[in-house]
Amino acid sequence: MKSERLDMTQHRRYSGLKVGALAVPTVAALILTGCSASTGSSSSSGGSQEFSLSFATSNTIESPFQVLAENYMKSHPNVKITFNPQPNDSYDQTLRTQLQAGNASDVVVTSPGSGTGRSILPLVQAGFLEPLDDAAKQLLPEGSASTFGTDGKVYGQATEITISALVSNETAATAAGGFPADFSSLQQQCKALESSGKSLFALAGSAPPNTGLMAMSLAASRVYAEDPKWNDKRAAKEATFAGSDGWKSALEAVNTLKDAGCFQKGAAGGGFDAITKGLASGTSVSGFIPAPSWKQLQSAAGGSQFAVRPFPAEQGSGNSYVFASANYAFSINAASKNKDAAKAFLDWAAQPEQTKAFAEIDGALPVSGLDKYDFDGGAYKNVGGLMKDGKYGPLPNIQWPNSAVYDALATGVQGIITGQKSPDQVLQAMDAAWDQ
Amino acid sequence: MTATMQPKSEAAEAPRRGKRTPGTGENTRPRRGPMQFGHWWWALPGIALVFAIHYVATGIGGFFAFTNWTGIGSFKITGWTNFEAIFKDPTKLGALSNTLFLAFGSVLLGNIAGLVIALGLNRVVKTRYILRTLFFMPVVLSPLATAYIWKYIFDFDGPLNAFLTAIGAGDQAKPWLADPQWAIWTVLVVLVWSSTGFAMVIFMAGLAGVPVEVEEAAAIDGANLWQRFRNVTLPAIRPAVAIATTLGIVQGLRVFDPIMALTGGGPAGATETLATLVYKQAFALGNFGGGAALALVLAAIILIFAVLQQRLTRSNPED
Repeated sequence: MKSERLDMTQHRRYSGLKVGALAVPTVAALILTGCSASTGSSSSSGGSQEFSLSFATSNTIESPFQVLAENYMKSHPNVKITFNPQPNDSYDQTLRTQLQAGNASDVVVTSPGSGTGRSILPLVQAGFLEPLDDAAKQLLPEGSASTFGTDGKVYGQATEITISALVSNETAATAAGGFPADFSSLQQQCKALESSGKSLFALAGSAPPNTGLMAMSLAASRVYAEDPKWNDKRAAKEATFAGSDGWKSALEAVNTLKDAGCFQKGAAGGGFDAITKGLASGTSVSGFIPAPSWKQLQSAAGGSQFAVRPFPAEQGSGNSYVFASANYAFSINAASKNKDAAKAFLDWAAQPEQTKAFAEIDGALPVSGLDKYDFDGGAYKNVGGLMKDGKYGPLPNIQWPNSAVYDALATGVQGIITGQKSPDQVLQAMDAAWDQ
Repeated sequence: MTATMQPKSEAAEAPRRGKRTPGTGENTRPRRGPMQFGHWWWALPGIALVFAIHYVATGIGGFFAFTNWTGIGSFKITGWTNFEAIFKDPTKLGALSNTLFLAFGSVLLGNIAGLVIALGLNRVVKTRYILRTLFFMPVVLSPLATAYIWKYIFDFDGPLNAFLTAIGAGDQAKPWLADPQWAIWTVLVVLVWSSTGFAMVIFMAGLAGVPVEVEEAAAIDGANLWQRFRNVTLPAIRPAVAIATTLGIVQGLRVFDPIMALTGGGPAGATETLATLVYKQAFALGNFGGGAALALVLAAIILIFAVLQQRLTRSNPED
């Protein structure tokens, strides 16, 4: 019995030890997770000169947002900015989850409108963003106030003007006899290039953002040149995609381009690397990518010149049109504890010299002083005339009510290229997504 | 399953039987003894974690299936609306048929291939240990990483088309993963490749339990190779078949990462499955309620097929 009792006490002592051994890491884990949740937006409040910044990255080139913020730290030595870069394809989801959990960065990069996961309007509706002051209001591109906030308040500070049209390898275009001026000469050139094993366009057919951007570029001269307010009509149910001749013509043009051999071989399965490789090597002349890419391509492909071009409109229509809008904005997290430091940074970034510097870093157009911008001689010389004549409007999907509309367009165009869908089916799916 | 349960229950019986022998009397602490170790409440932290992570989280997710929540902000309870939308939408029904095709296709082909390899590598072949490792390798490797390698192989400029061109079949070269007819078969090839090794290991474990004497006796009685397999080996490895097919179906129905990496559900939904749709709806398109409803439908389908599968393949009706 004695030995049994001894066993029992030892047993109890061991069990106490084991409970302790279990409890310590469990409690530690709980404390640590609790701490990390509360320190997500980090550190000292009240006059803090420290804040965090979230932005999306899609390649190894240093983000222009990071370069700008580093410049700010250089000129303001007492400020410390923590960078939270996120891969572009998961940025929207990460941003929403962090905002919902209350631990997002103090300054986050958003997009105007409600067409994407990082769009300002749904985030404002959920109460996640802080209203900004006059500096942000002054940077609002003309006619875009409704996509940057509600009730006269502004929740995003535009960073640059991005043109969404074509980026072309000018060296390859010259070798192919010059870039086509209208849609019919474009088809001729497609056939000529195809016979020499090249293509006029490099398309990432398996990457929906790219097919969607192509369809919108085709709709620029067919829909928005004639009716820049077409989206408002759609919102008021005065028009539908399926009932629009312009949209129908735009999607039928996808078939025309495919039949004329305008895309590289295997385009339906191509990814973004197909565009980068094709344009850098000159086997493809141009691609439907955001204009700032010209700068990255030019640095990657030494010896070739790159430029931004509008998509050629129908012959003699005079309807050339490009999309130029502020597609990215700085917003402040409403749950931030470092709002003063964040606002100071935004005020600094709104200064004309900083908007100019930011545009230069990214290869985009500055959000302020565009009327005095010298288009001649640079990568934007081919769109300068359109910009000066006001033949431009915001990227259409910024004004669309949800991301499902753009998804229906982008995957639908992929279906047109593979022969799975007709333009009518795609347009009906877009209408259904709009009304959901 | 029964085979693995038995030793456990025997082990559980052992301390009770052993306890009576020392003759300490039935009335003194009947449940204590050298082999009886621990208290039930020690498991509480584990139970609490399992309950919180598995049941509460899943339950909350299931609740959102009946709301219009976008993933952020407020929401309204909308009843069965999300489920009605699923069954009215032809693209979602297409995803359901793709899911079933890939699950059953990969189970059927993966198990046949696994069984053939297991039989082949069971005894005779000298290099069988190396070959077993090689065939099992796809199970160990990251599905995402291997999917990207397959994507490169099936790329229009990839090795497969280069090979076809080299042997003079260049007209057969196509963007395999973006071809509406071929994409789903291409995905199936990758799924079968990755599931074969797992089936092989289970069948090998089953084959290890088949007595050589019975096989030899059948051979002496004049049974040919097929008859020996059909009447001796197969009945003996029935539990292994049940496990391999059930796990294969469950895995096949919820397969996500290889498809996301290979095609992203494209071209234009040709390889979309319920799992990729759940992700797109809930996270990419900001329709968390719809995504949660789809996830519930997927869970129900997996449950139905897993139960059916168990009933069809169990070795005797009393199990």
